[in-house]
Amino acid sequence: MSEFKIKSGLAQMLKGGVIMDVVTPEQAKIAERAGACAVMALERIPADMRKSGQVCRMSDPKMIKEIMANVSIPVMAKVRIGHLVEAQILQALEVDYIDESEVLTPADWAHHIAKNEFKVPFVCGAKDLGEALRRIDEGAAMIRTKGEAGTGDVSEAVKHISKIRGQIQELKKELKTEEQFAQAAKEMRVPVELLKSTLEAGKLPVVNFAAGGVATPADAALLMQLGCEGVFVGSGIFKSSNPERLARAIVEATTHYNDPLKLLEVSSDLGELMSGQTVDGIRQHGKQLANIGW
Amino acid sequence: MTTSNTQGPQSSKTIGVLALQGAFIEHIQHLNRCIEQNSYNLKVIAVRTAEELNQCDALVIPGGESTSMSLIAQRTGMYQPLYEFVHNPSKAIWGTCAGLIYISKEVSNEKDLLKPLELLEVKVKRNAFGRQAQSFIKDCDFSSFAPGVHDFPAVFIRAPVIEEILDPKHVKPLYSLDNGLIVAAVQNENILATSFHPELAEDDIRFHDWFIKRFVIKQ
Repeated sequence: MSEFKIKSGLAQMLKGGVIMDVVTPEQAKIAERAGACAVMALERIPADMRKSGQVCRMSDPKMIKEIMANVSIPVMAKVRIGHLVEAQILQALEVDYIDESEVLTPADWAHHIAKNEFKVPFVCGAKDLGEALRRIDEGAAMIRTKGEAGTGDVSEAVKHISKIRGQIQELKKELKTEEQFAQAAKEMRVPVELLKSTLEAGKLPVVNFAAGGVATPADAALLMQLGCEGVFVGSGIFKSSNPERLARAIVEATTHYNDPLKLLEVSSDLGELMSGQTVDGIRQHGKQLANIGW
Repeated sequence: MTTSNTQGPQSSKTIGVLALQGAFIEHIQHLNRCIEQNSYNLKVIAVRTAEELNQCDALVIPGGESTSMSLIAQRTGMYQPLYEFVHNPSKAIWGTCAGLIYISKEVSNEKDLLKPLELLEVKVKRNAFGRQAQSFIKDCDFSSFAPGVHDFPAVFIRAPVIEEILDPKHVKPLYSLDNGLIVAAVQNENILATSFHPELAEDDIRFHDWFIKRFVIKQ
């Protein structure tokens, strides 16, 4: 248990902050200078992965190591769903957090990584309460919405956080008897104690960030107002015309998410934003990443 | 106007928790539990603006990322109000982890993006134990300064340490690890710094209660 406290504790320190996707040490430094509380080291940002149609794997550890050497904030990196060896490699590298991510091509279509067996903490995506609790049961110390990475369309992230929070409120009212709890837990494939303690607390037992499609300061503030505790920004920043300025604006919007005057100030004059791709368009082509993972 | 009694004997004190980035909610919850259990005449608020800061008699600067906190403070016009607030000797100040870095006089490493509040006369080292892989929990005996706290679960997450005390006359170490690294210190009667996170101690408000008694209401 104390081991888990150390893992979930780092996520608690990241709250109210912005974690930015970066592909080079230079971008990592821009992110840090903009006030990012951590960076996600990647070979390609999700928008480019989407386009490539290729297999997407863990990034080259050499590149992640260079980023680790260039910033003083925590560095995260992604592994494929179920790829426990990629996770072992990143643990040996001593990255600060691993994202077991649907943005990469899954290595195992049946099992996620047994994250409890690792010392390094994991963050995982979820689109509903059951998925979040399954990941936590496997050992995830932080949850993020899946959203729809690489699109610049925030609607999926909004859907996922609303679903998770809505289900907690609903089940809190609905579930009364032991049988009802047992049935709901069975349907979600999670231990009944985990479901009970979550409903009792009225929130997930770990930090819950927004991710997937965040492209503007207003997007970040929207997700914070909907109950997210911090924000991942992927392709949005470095696909815009003035990344440093946009990155700063998203950081400030995340701190002052409830202050419309501040949001007005930071939303103005940001230059060309990520043009993006609507989730609706992607859905028609059957290429939705949020449907990966279970 | 002369009959105004807003500052009467019943007036309560306000503890602010800096809420620019980091684990501020955990501090607010711990402080509120202390207040509920002991019926202290205190209230706790989150501080993001100078107006909110102006309502406070004490300020807790939480753990988080010190660069994020420092950059956000500078950009949103909070640096100067914070500087003036923490340097006012009538205010009680407590920095945990990133908060310790932020109130220090000097930072010895990874300091390019930091503009600390230069309050605590120490030199501090960031990420002194290493990365997250070196984070740890240790049961510590704090009873030499906090009565009765013999076994406190101190959580160290990418924690800093106090490398050097620059003004030994006014800064006293409160606790050092077995290897001699200073992880808690007090300056004068109003400034506390810890490199660990008492706000992460589950169901354990003893450290926060000691802070309130010793620094805020000065029992």
